[in-house]
Amino acid sequence: MMNENKILFDTGSLGELSKELGKLTDKEKSKLKLNPDNAESGLAKLVMTLVELIRKLVEKQAMRRVDGGSLTDDEIERLGETLMKLENKMDELKKHFNLTEEDLNINLGPLGDLM
Amino acid sequence: MDKMIYAILSVKKKSGKLDALLATLKGISGASLYAVVYEGIIAVVSDIEKSDLITDRSNAIEYASIIESLVQQFPLLPMCYGSLMESTDAIAEMLGRNYTELRQNLKKVENMREYGLKIFCDPEKLKSEFQAISKNDINILIEPSTEVKNSVYREYVRNKLKEHRLEESIMTYVNSVIAEISGCLARLNAVCKFKKMPSATIMVDAVFLLRKDKKDELLKVVNDLKNQYQKLNFVLTGPWPPYNFVDTRIK
Repeated sequence: MMNENKILFDTGSLGELSKELGKLTDKEKSKLKLNPDNAESGLAKLVMTLVELIRKLVEKQAMRRVDGGSLTDDEIERLGETLMKLENKMDELKKHFNLTEEDLNINLGPLGDLM
Repeated sequence: MDKMIYAILSVKKKSGKLDALLATLKGISGASLYAVVYEGIIAVVSDIEKSDLITDRSNAIEYASIIESLVQQFPLLPMCYGSLMESTDAIAEMLGRNYTELRQNLKKVENMREYGLKIFCDPEKLKSEFQAISKNDINILIEPSTEVKNSVYREYVRNKLKEHRLEESIMTYVNSVIAEISGCLARLNAVCKFKKMPSATIMVDAVFLLRKDKKDELLKVVNDLKNQYQKLNFVLTGPWPPYNFVDTRIK
């Protein structure tokens, strides 16, 4: 029966657990609210989320290459310039569409957060 | 009227045990529960109007309670909430079509229970602990080898590399925690599934399938892990029906 106590062991994180479970039921933030009045911002959130995900993947791969030590001074310089400009452009777009970093890190339910 | 399927279970011998249990339970919207049988595997169902199928907290809890009551007495495969078919004949046909896979899965979960373990961390404390390690050698990699002046872009890469190293160090630590848990649970013959860092505060989200008589040993393992990783917080839940260990898709 469901009245059986399901918490077998806890070292003080029940509050955190309940917050995380709350994220699963509070889908409002993750929802793509598309309607005639907000079609632009709803779509912007979706597109920006995908672009941000790809940007972070590119950045990660670039850092792996830097960490590998195979890049020349010039390549590091150009890489830095490109990544910095990409990040700045994303910040500009987020401001334009009134989105925060949290808005783009959508919760995928049982899979956890996107980023 | 549609049929809602709660779980698929196996009953070894024809006995009144299942009927007696079903008589004490009520399905969604108070409907009676009954069994659709195919060669020793059984779908527990109730009649439901599609319009009554509301996905809300109360129905979800009711649905889970029924599965929970059934799993106390029978090996079962829980179905997703909202699994509907149009008739008992269609359900029997579905059981027949998927018979081999369902049997295999039922055998796998027999006498087993699922447990969930969430390991929480303080992300800020964790970062500050690993910060020192991740700084190693960064300057060697990023310092210009010629007379090139340090630029804002180079500084940007240096900071990003620090973040990257930090993430890698934390992930190595997470992997070592998972390896330790896997090692301990291998001794209990548990089947384990892990998710790494599903959120900022959950470092590991794990589910285990193990024999129902091993609960006390599992508790001891988790207690030992807590003593080993004192800065992490552990929440162990269960026993649950095998929600995460059914490897079949109904055809």
